[in-house]
Amino acid sequence: MRVADHRFRFLSHEALLGAFVLAEVAYFGVRGVNFFTVGNVFEVARASVEIGLLALGLTAVILTGGIDLSVGSLLGLSAVLMGAAERSLGLPVSLACLAGVTVGVLGGALNALLVARFDIPPLIVTLGTFSLFRGLAEGWTGGVRNYTNFPESFLFLGQGRLPGGPPPQLVLFLVAALFFWLLLHHTAVGRGLRAIGFSPQGARHAGIPVRRRLALVYLLSGLMSGLAAVVYAARLGQAKADAGSGFELFAITAVVLGGTSIFGGRGTVHGTLLGLAAVAVLQNGLRLADLPAELAGLFTGVLLIAALALGRLVSRRSHE
Amino acid sequence: MGLALVALVVFLAFRAPGFFAPGNLRDLLVSNAPVLVASIGMTLVILARQIDISIGSQFAIGGVVAGLLAKAGLPMPAVATGTVAAGAFLGALNGALVAGLGLPSIVVTLATMVLLRETLRWATEGVWVENLPAGFQWFGLGQGPGRVAVILASLLAFAAFAWALRHVAAGRAVYATGSEPEVAHLVGVRPRRVVFGVFVSLGALTGLAALLTAIQFIDVQTNAGVGLEMKVIAAVVVGGTAISGGRGTLVGTLLGVALLGAIGPALTFLGTEAYWERALEGLVILLAVAAEAFGRRRK
Repeated sequence: MRVADHRFRFLSHEALLGAFVLAEVAYFGVRGVNFFTVGNVFEVARASVEIGLLALGLTAVILTGGIDLSVGSLLGLSAVLMGAAERSLGLPVSLACLAGVTVGVLGGALNALLVARFDIPPLIVTLGTFSLFRGLAEGWTGGVRNYTNFPESFLFLGQGRLPGGPPPQLVLFLVAALFFWLLLHHTAVGRGLRAIGFSPQGARHAGIPVRRRLALVYLLSGLMSGLAAVVYAARLGQAKADAGSGFELFAITAVVLGGTSIFGGRGTVHGTLLGLAAVAVLQNGLRLADLPAELAGLFTGVLLIAALALGRLVSRRSHE
Repeated sequence: MGLALVALVVFLAFRAPGFFAPGNLRDLLVSNAPVLVASIGMTLVILARQIDISIGSQFAIGGVVAGLLAKAGLPMPAVATGTVAAGAFLGALNGALVAGLGLPSIVVTLATMVLLRETLRWATEGVWVENLPAGFQWFGLGQGPGRVAVILASLLAFAAFAWALRHVAAGRAVYATGSEPEVAHLVGVRPRRVVFGVFVSLGALTGLAALLTAIQFIDVQTNAGVGLEMKVIAAVVVGGTAISGGRGTLVGTLLGVALLGAIGPALTFLGTEAYWERALEGLVILLAVAAEAFGRRRK
């Protein structure tokens, strides 16, 4: 019975959020200029891919009851070292991209080591690597160097259009989203992550290799930072030390807004996609409707608290 | 942790004695006084098993409030009271959502961080508070005595809270709430009140930190305090306070602020590029917590 109740609750959270996104679209469709065009839809998608990739990785992390504050900093470090590999070392751009993604994975491995092996709370570990990764990027570039003049073929990934108009990075994002959806909702590993989030002790007794699973989610989160770094550099045509500053907070917002519990155990990939859409449509719509951009942050904050309070009310009722 | 600080001090004494010139030490104390004040409040919040990442936005609002009150012609004591009260009000907002509604503090304060920052930007349109009255900068005391006043204010706040945390029932209730909320409740502590109280204290102290910063400059920047939360939480954690609540001391926090605050200037005195400051900061945080984890394991 309780399981059924929980499932009902997920449905209602995501249904409510979906309804909110539709309401946003309807409102801005009337108020905004050129909001309802295919081109605009693709531009919203293009602008959201980096945060979206980070949010996918964070969904898995938060599902286990963890957190990763270092994703934005790791994006910056990966982007800078990718730029250095391409511009300074003169590596072919494909190898440079590989280097950038590898940096992401290595950064994730450091988080994984400290969280899963040394049992240090993830909030503290990733607070430390938040400073470390950004600091390494700043130190490497001397705070000023900016890598630009990337080859056209690379820039196409971030700025080009596929036949029919969709941005190329959208394909990458959809593949990543599908991967996370399958992993979290249709594999034993995904169920294990949920179990860890509910109770690490219980999961261990149930025979789930908790350390290995925790290591996996931080590695995946690092991988997403590396991929997001490549997309970021290709979209903006530059890589410098402040790349991705504050992205961790946007990504966490999308995840939590999407109904993933910050304590772990509950959450879905489609919820995260809806949370991402809610924030992205808001930002784009306000701009096209010529309303102050600051309203986006204001509404996002209110929305986040409202979603939490609502979830709290519903869970109280179901417990009674 | 204390050892790390001693090691740094000895190393600097040999390699860069200029670091210990009275002028440099005084500058160091003045520039870190606001961080210390905010870290006191953050220690209380983390001891009570909560967290607040919205203090950067609270700090920005505090500075603007101080500037506007001063421009309105209020005397300095009234400006100070108003700024601290504004901070306490913002802290109460977080406290009500966390303690009143029982929402997780990390998400609540993530939301209020964005909300407060964007509201401030909307209200001020990013324009700095300029043309402050002559009596505002350095409390109208002039630079020399003003600096002493900033240092004294921060140390006074530190001493008051360090004493209260040990010797007043409310202070011990913070530890009780952070270690075992259910048990605390049974022995007569009201965890919700304590949680509300620590958020209000942090807000008030953040307001004070904003004031101590604002009076050091000609204008009040409206985008101040970005990233302050990370700096402050790092100092508390390096100072040995457990993120899981109930364990930690304000003396540890003081050492944490000193260690992290000394890294940047120390790099400059050692002739290394200051760009590596953040990386070293991150390394210090990781080493501090890894050392603690190893210590725990050995026991």
